[in-house]
Amino acid sequence: MKVAKVNAGTDLADPAAPAWSSVAAEAVALAPVALAAQPTEYIRVAWANRPYGKTAEAKVAAASDGSKLYVRVEWADDAKPNTEFQDAVGAVLGDGSLATLGDANSPLTLWYWENGRGALNLTAKGPGIFSKAGAGVTGTGANGNGKWAAVLSGPASAAKGKLGVAVWNGSNEERAGLAAVSRAWLALE
Amino acid sequence: MTANGTRQIAWVFDLNKCIGCQTCSVACKVLWTRDEGEKHEWWCSVNTQPGLGTPKNWEQMGGGVEATTGKPKAGHQPARGEFGGGFDFNYYEVFYGGTAGKAHLEPQAPREDRWAMNWDEDQGAGEWPNSYFFYLPRICNHCTNPVCMEACPTGALSKRDDGLVLRDEDVCMGDRFCMEACPYKKIYFNYERHVGQHCIGCFPRIEAGVAPACVRQCPGRAVFVGYLDEEGTPVHDLVKKWKIALPLHAEAGTGPNVFYVPPLSPHRLNDDMSIDYETPRIPREYLESLFGPEVNGALATLSGEMQKVREGGSSDVCKTLIAYKWKELLGPFTVDPADIVQTV
Repeated sequence: MKVAKVNAGTDLADPAAPAWSSVAAEAVALAPVALAAQPTEYIRVAWANRPYGKTAEAKVAAASDGSKLYVRVEWADDAKPNTEFQDAVGAVLGDGSLATLGDANSPLTLWYWENGRGALNLTAKGPGIFSKAGAGVTGTGANGNGKWAAVLSGPASAAKGKLGVAVWNGSNEERAGLAAVSRAWLALE
Repeated sequence: MTANGTRQIAWVFDLNKCIGCQTCSVACKVLWTRDEGEKHEWWCSVNTQPGLGTPKNWEQMGGGVEATTGKPKAGHQPARGEFGGGFDFNYYEVFYGGTAGKAHLEPQAPREDRWAMNWDEDQGAGEWPNSYFFYLPRICNHCTNPVCMEACPTGALSKRDDGLVLRDEDVCMGDRFCMEACPYKKIYFNYERHVGQHCIGCFPRIEAGVAPACVRQCPGRAVFVGYLDEEGTPVHDLVKKWKIALPLHAEAGTGPNVFYVPPLSPHRLNDDMSIDYETPRIPREYLESLFGPEVNGALATLSGEMQKVREGGSSDVCKTLIAYKWKELLGPFTVDPADIVQTV
């Protein structure tokens, strides 16, 4: 996937910023993180008969102003009310098992944004096996017209690696490893 | 002490002595849950039984483990509204609004949303003159088999060598599987800090030799704390030797370490107001639903011991439950908190 180069100072943090209209977006197919890969027996039992990760597709675009990489993700909002859990999105970076959001031997970086909570910089060592990894990641999201658009940003050094995305549907109580994740890595270039 | 060298701190609440004064709840509240996002949290709560409890209808929310397979059972994550509480009140209107005699203190929330810890206080059950209720204090059960710990994907929960189940809030990601898995629904969610929170057994006090606040502050001498394996102590003897202190909903399979001396009951009154000496006012089936069939033996023992004393005899059970010496309630944690020198 091409990372669009923009001039320093261009507003990319806002998913509705005009600069994004000239950045090509790629449709990315998503699939649920496998139930068998979920890290605890409780989760596997409790979700055995509950569908999750049904967000089938996201539109992904990436741009950099030289100091930061910005990843814009757009996906359908099911428009059901969220109560205890919120919609969320992640940009997955690194090289490892994308389908499981990393593993113990090959942790991935997860730039995570959740509606109402903001952005977190996480290390992912498996589905929901996340830990905080310090500051440096920002995120903004907005929904309307039946869809979410969010932008995650972090150090530009990530622009030379691989990118995946993950989506959590809050109204379905999705969190941790209960996500839809992109089926294949996008090679950033 | 168990084979692997660990011990288990346990509590015994005597439901015949608990007067529902909430001093334990408030002692806990002022000590641990006064920070942001903790307004609705009552790590120690006392509810009228029968009742809907805290959170509302918690006994119908699932969790725990299957008795036959030991597998965890799916549970419901109590929502903010099911815990209720944390209301703002119309203090200004009542105290300064010139509305004396008209306005009264009430939560600033729609009537249909009003619910909180012990909201159904003293409603109980039964019809006059045979209505009945009792109080049930609840804290985290610091279970022997803590399903909350297993359910957590980030490993935020752990069980210490003294049996307390604690959470590392820096590791907790706020996923709330612990809340679903806990059959006692005694884990809260801090919506401001995005972490689960529950009774920590007052571990900083324990480490300093001070009894947990709920125990030390109880004005009714109704709660004991100590190590479950320490023979000759009230906690051990009430649970293991005399078997009159029972776990709540043991069928949940998690091995709770909070035990209850079940409530004795006045006799029922007949329609002509004569006393029905054969029928306890609190239906035995109800107590069995809480404490299992063992409640019958426990109540028989308790009644028998009380009868001994009535007849002029002596009863170690009664002496223990009366708690003539307050410090016996505190187990090995008898240090006065005022004597602790803070070194931070």
